[in-house]
Amino acid sequence: MTESKDLLIEIGTEELPPRALPGLSGAFADQMQKGIADVGLTYGKIRRFATPRRLAVIIEQLAARQADRTTEKRGPSVSASFTDDGKPTKAAEGFARSCGVTVEELDRIKTDKGEWLGLQVHEPGKYTEELIPAIAVQTLSRLPIPKRMRWGESNIEFVRPVHWVVVLFGKDIVPFELFGIKTGRKTHGHRFHHPGAIKLENPSEYQHKLRDPGYVIADFNERREQIRSQALTVAKACRGTVIIDEDLLDEITGLVEWPVGLSGSFDKKYLSLPPEVLIACMQNQQKYFPLQDADGKLLNHFIAFSNIDSLDPEIVRAGNERVIDPRLNDAAFFWQQDLRRPLAEYQHELEGIVYQKQLGTLAEKTTRLEKLAGHLATLLDQNIEHARRAATLSKCDLVTEMVGEFPALQGIMGRYYAIESNELTDIARSLEEQYFPRFSGDRLPETETGIVLSLSDKLDTLAGIFAIGQVPSGEKDPFGLRRAAIGILRIIIEGKVDLDLVDCLTAAVDGYEHLKVSDDLVNQVFEYMMERLRHYYLEQGISMDIFESVYARRPTRPLDFHDRIQAVRNFITLPEAERLAAANKRISNILKQADDQKIETEIREELLQETAERDLAAALNRVSKIVMPMLNGNEYSNALTELAGLKAPVDAFFDEVMVMCDDEVLKTNRLALLKDLNQLFLRTADISRLQN
Amino acid sequence: MTASRQGVFSFQELISRLQAYWQSRGCIIEQPYDMEVGAGTFHPSTFLRAIGPEPWRAAYVQPSRRPTDGRYGDNPNRLQHYYQFQVILKPSPEDIQDIYLNSLVKLGIDPLKHDIRFVEDDWESPTLGAWGLGWEIWLDGMEISQFTYFQQAGGLDCKPVSGEITYGLERIAMYLQGCESVYDLIWGPGPDRDITYGDIYHQNEVEMSAYNFEFADTQSLFAWFDTCERECRKLIEKELPLPAFEMVLKASHAFNLLDARHAISVTERQRFILRVRDLSRLVAKAYYDKRESLGFPLLKKQ
Repeated sequence: MTESKDLLIEIGTEELPPRALPGLSGAFADQMQKGIADVGLTYGKIRRFATPRRLAVIIEQLAARQADRTTEKRGPSVSASFTDDGKPTKAAEGFARSCGVTVEELDRIKTDKGEWLGLQVHEPGKYTEELIPAIAVQTLSRLPIPKRMRWGESNIEFVRPVHWVVVLFGKDIVPFELFGIKTGRKTHGHRFHHPGAIKLENPSEYQHKLRDPGYVIADFNERREQIRSQALTVAKACRGTVIIDEDLLDEITGLVEWPVGLSGSFDKKYLSLPPEVLIACMQNQQKYFPLQDADGKLLNHFIAFSNIDSLDPEIVRAGNERVIDPRLNDAAFFWQQDLRRPLAEYQHELEGIVYQKQLGTLAEKTTRLEKLAGHLATLLDQNIEHARRAATLSKCDLVTEMVGEFPALQGIMGRYYAIESNELTDIARSLEEQYFPRFSGDRLPETETGIVLSLSDKLDTLAGIFAIGQVPSGEKDPFGLRRAAIGILRIIIEGKVDLDLVDCLTAAVDGYEHLKVSDDLVNQVFEYMMERLRHYYLEQGISMDIFESVYARRPTRPLDFHDRIQAVRNFITLPEAERLAAANKRISNILKQADDQKIETEIREELLQETAERDLAAALNRVSKIVMPMLNGNEYSNALTELAGLKAPVDAFFDEVMVMCDDEVLKTNRLALLKDLNQLFLRTADISRLQN
Repeated sequence: MTASRQGVFSFQELISRLQAYWQSRGCIIEQPYDMEVGAGTFHPSTFLRAIGPEPWRAAYVQPSRRPTDGRYGDNPNRLQHYYQFQVILKPSPEDIQDIYLNSLVKLGIDPLKHDIRFVEDDWESPTLGAWGLGWEIWLDGMEISQFTYFQQAGGLDCKPVSGEITYGLERIAMYLQGCESVYDLIWGPGPDRDITYGDIYHQNEVEMSAYNFEFADTQSLFAWFDTCERECRKLIEKELPLPAFEMVLKASHAFNLLDARHAISVTERQRFILRVRDLSRLVAKAYYDKRESLGFPLLKKQ
């Protein structure tokens, strides 16, 4: 057992960007772990710490030394190493020289392929403190830094300027330089509560010394949960419920080392503004948590988090209350300004806003959406005028003052302004719903018009971006095409909207005639969407082969696709499934060999000789009569269940009948029988693709 | 001291304390640039001095104009003409944050009573082709300063890096005086009574808002913009970066006025910004070359 000690690395910085902090901290710990694992050091638990002014990691029970290693260097083969008279060749001498020994001192390495000269090299393990500097440097060079910066006269780059570096291995400093700073054992506490240095004897003191005397809660998660519980407590005192947005909670956690929550209030008159506006003011601008009452109505209170245990908390509260007032006042001003015109009058301003350079302005997008929404409404037998009106209004709120100030309120303001402009409720709601689903698992549009508008918007985006060749690759997806594609599929499948995707895409692509799009565009987008569909099902635990069995049939109506998926899922639970899948695989192989195209379709009964083939033909005939109406009614599940009954005659057929017999006539007839059988299954899915 | 007779911290007192403080930290106290600019960054003492290797430490008040922010004197927080106190420290010293925080202490702001925070705010000026990383400084939830480490100016890498600190004087004064409207701020004591910010600037806000939004002649402004652009290019050819920079400032202000008049569509807006940025880059390059040809005089120690 080698000796082990804890390792602490802390980088002390100026205030780091709070939203990047969790990612930086995670990468810092992961890269350290990777570096340590790569050099073969054993270690125990890894603990990470992150505050606005520090990134730290503690690696517990890190081995003090690498294990010794024996490696083997291989030289030339023995036959190439010695001349006939046994003298070493130049090759042998060269190799010996490179190893720093004489040829006589070299070992012989025997394998079943021959014999080589070689040398066993015993490498003593290195001490951990010798390895740490390189690992630390490499780790820091691999952090996901959104924007690097320089400071002062130095050429060093990092997230923000670095002020101190602690590297302690057990009780000892590992001496080296990072960012031009000598490593040491002194950390620093809270900027105001404990500005002086805190000397650490060993890594295990880190967390508690930072807490006391340091006034720093170093653990990100601990701090976050403390903020949450403080918020709950403060809310209770205000007789309200706190609305906690998890992203905001993370951001606040990244902004404070010593969180102190306090409540404040604002003038009740602002409660007449849309609640989303108040929430945006509080959350986005001021980083406050809003409060609501038991009925879910907003209260004129908020919870702010300061980074100080103030000697005079009233000052901090009063200050925060003073700030929110002008913010809300501005919002009220925007609301009034925006309402001076009905929503539809904002339309002409869309001409000045470029949606995408090659795809034109928002006004042009609106025109395309009017057409597309009208088309979809026609297909779905819905109110066409409503759909077109919704499309006309869809982008108007983007040029209002409020959305200019709070971009996240797009759609929401559209809804409010539409209602204030006396548009129909369904249309007003659709303006917000066009952006649904906004993220994975988000709600779907519910109104008829909202469904049509949301689909139109996303189809237009997909078609347009594909048309200009900006197909998403790898992680990059600046136009959110993945989200758009999955959104369309979810709306259609989960909202049970019976639309043909190829029809929809064709209509969407028609909006881009002027771009001279390729004939294959619809197909390209369709394939892309099917790829998303595969992921959609994978996420639901539906295996790839089930997807493939259906996809092989290329259904273009996602709802129909989904029904087939459900049918196959149901089918594979049946005891007959495995054998039938195997039988179908066998059949399709046989048919392939026999050149599918040339097989007769008519089964001639008089040619059926064996009992097993007569039985199968009879069974097929009987089942087919039951199944055909089911298939015509898209009752795939019932159909497959019914077809499962063919297992016995199919098995018997393959046991007893020779398909590829010498009699060409009999063979052709048997192939026709199999093709019939196969076709019946294929009406739902290609079950030959199922794995057991 | 010029404390007002009501015993509050006057606007002029705020300025003189900041000047005294930064003077004590090795800054020369410069004067405002005598042209219309949108922020203290446009003062040559910041934008041009940030370019090249020469060290520089300066502080100054800069009257700043943002025509679109005018509210005819009706809004207690928004002005089309206001003041920034600008500090430029090149190279940025290691303890720049502490130096800044100390200046707040000099204004009577106790960091153990108030919640002072550095909140991420990356800065970019598209017209100046400049960007940097830094923070807004929040005092009890209110932004009172901006803090930027310049990374590029006029498209040139800043080496060494300048640290820029900008105080929003009205906001800080309102906070210190506990007043709800900028117009009620006490500027300083007069012979008979305190003179307020409103006494000095309210009429100006009303009249200038009318000019900015209603009467500025867009035709001549468009023409003026073109003239400035042309002149700027000519002056750069003549290796006169300082007057060329003045042309950038004039063009920039003409653009801001046109913007306030809603004379520029959103698409055109981008194009105008790019035109100014191109000029800024040319000026930055020309300024660098000129300083280089002069042997970077400020690098020489006495």
